[in-house]
Amino acid sequence: MTAQSTLDPARRTTRPAPAGHPLAGAVAAEWTKLWSVRSTWWTLLAAVLTMTATSVQLAIYARNGNTDDDPANDSGVVDVGEIVAGSLELTQYVVLALGLFAITSEFATGTIRTTLRCTPSRGRVLAAKASVVGAVTFGLGLLLGTVGAVVARPVLGEWGRAPLGGTVADVVACAAYLALVGVLALGLAAALRGAVLTLTVLFALLMIVPLSLQEPDITVLTRIADAFPGVAGNHFLAGDTEPYPAAAGLLLLAAWTATALALGRWALARRDA
Amino acid sequence: MITLRALTKRFGDVTAVDDLTVDIRPGQVTGFLGPNGAGKSTTMRMVLGLDRPTAGQALVNGRDYRTLRHPLHEVGALLDATGVHPARSGVAHLRAMARSNGVPARRVTEVLDLVGLDARAAGKPGRALSLGMGQRLGIAGALLGDPPVLLLDEPVNGLDPDGVRWIRGFTRRLADEGRTVLVSSHLMSEMQQTADRVVVLGRGRLVADAPLAELIAARPAASVRVRGPEPAALAALGDRLAAEGATVTAADGGMAVAGSTAGRVGDLAYEMGVRLHELTPVAPSLEEAFLELTADSVEYAAGPTGGDTR
Ligand SMILES: Nc1ncnc2c1ncn2[C@@H]1O[C@H](COP(=O)(O)OP(=O)(O)OP(=O)(O)O)[C@@H](O)[C@H]1O
Ligand SMILES: [Mg+2]
Repeated sequence: MTAQSTLDPARRTTRPAPAGHPLAGAVAAEWTKLWSVRSTWWTLLAAVLTMTATSVQLAIYARNGNTDDDPANDSGVVDVGEIVAGSLELTQYVVLALGLFAITSEFATGTIRTTLRCTPSRGRVLAAKASVVGAVTFGLGLLLGTVGAVVARPVLGEWGRAPLGGTVADVVACAAYLALVGVLALGLAAALRGAVLTLTVLFALLMIVPLSLQEPDITVLTRIADAFPGVAGNHFLAGDTEPYPAAAGLLLLAAWTATALALGRWALARRDA
Repeated sequence: MITLRALTKRFGDVTAVDDLTVDIRPGQVTGFLGPNGAGKSTTMRMVLGLDRPTAGQALVNGRDYRTLRHPLHEVGALLDATGVHPARSGVAHLRAMARSNGVPARRVTEVLDLVGLDARAAGKPGRALSLGMGQRLGIAGALLGDPPVLLLDEPVNGLDPDGVRWIRGFTRRLADEGRTVLVSSHLMSEMQQTADRVVVLGRGRLVADAPLAELIAARPAASVRVRGPEPAALAALGDRLAAEGATVTAADGGMAVAGSTAGRVGDLAYEMGVRLHELTPVAPSLEEAFLELTADSVEYAAGPTGGDTR
């Protein structure tokens, strides 16, 4: 065994405080952790494949709807942005997994104890995770939006349209949507701890409950459904003006994300690790 | 310096740590002893801000761990679970820890060197690490920030004899450098080799807090176990020994003689013509002294004070 002292002789007497804000350190650590497990790369691949498949499929539906004998399903010439937004309905769940696993895997393996020993402030841990998950899902959203547009355009052929400015705006909107639901998943997972439970709750929040509320076509229930994060996100992606402007949809979704983070932070601070 | 003040932790109706008040001082290795479930790990988790105390305080250098900005520079810890993600390599694990606290990357190589993990072992994913490698990696993590306070929960667990010897030398050196070193174990014999002071827990309560030498001195005296087929002759032998100043007590089928030697008892028996079937010197180990201590703590568990039985 080496005989050298573990003490850095220069430090022994002075011990200066380490440089750097702890939040920056926590973010760097989360970044390192995210990219040092292979499952992250598989998730990215799965997201790209799902996006490709669903975009192609939605493009085929749109084209067939216009070319078959049934006039009821004619959608006319569609923007690729519409196809991209539609594809997120399914693809978002793969992206959500990224936000969710950023913390549930730590609970499941006990690595959360290492994380909290390095960064004892629970708020800081969650802020660091949210920054990394948000940045990665936003970047992934840009990639997925682009992939979706690129594969959908040729399939649509004469029934498709991809004005540059509009398409770029749609892709950025996609990225914003995915970043917000990704961080929403993270916050919820921090509160609920288990991956399966969190995914179930997300599924209910994003799809099952609002869908059941919209189903009977009763105005009150539909209005309630409009407050749910997935529906709000869809109004934002579609650039709707009814029942509220697109920007309000974005804000509503962001409010859900902020609430989930607050819930997660509260649970992290309260519970034993 | 670790300061515990009336520290208490309850899990439901289990009181894991009960009104624990003790100071762990720098410059010495403090052994943290107690049988399984005594509350050693729980105490350490509270010091590290992982478990919230039900009552009381656990402070490191006078501060609550949760308020530390760069804690790895203040406290290093090895917990019972390694805390490495099964799919992440040991190096990546250390690198992430280092970055979180502004520790330069070269320190990762340094600590790996210190604990004797080569690049191949450190490159393995967490799930592929042997118990001993995991322990070494954990210790490497504890040393990253070169902290003045170290908490090691059963560090020899899973180590080979070489590793055990290494840990002993290593904890010694860390203490000699002036650090506060708290090492838990449920084996007194292990502590006999390393600790300067021992803090003994029994059912979450403080049973002893004393220099090791004091505990060793306080253990029951050595005795000689004597058995023979003729009770009357044996009793006569006992009387002679008692007259010589030995303490004789009846023990199953014979007697225990303290304050004499096997040689003296044998000579006397020969002189008196007493037939003996057994003549055994009995030296109570530190382990027994420890068991006695913790057994008491169970017996008096309902007592009003934390009980410093020194
Ligand atoms: N998270 C928990 N939930 C419920 N009970 C717990 C929890 N952690 C510990 N305990 C209980 O608290 C008591 C003390 O456990 P602890 O792990 O601190 O003991 P220990 O001294 O470290 O034992 P060992 O030598 O076996 O490691 C035990 O009765 C244990 O069952
Ligand atoms: Mg333990």
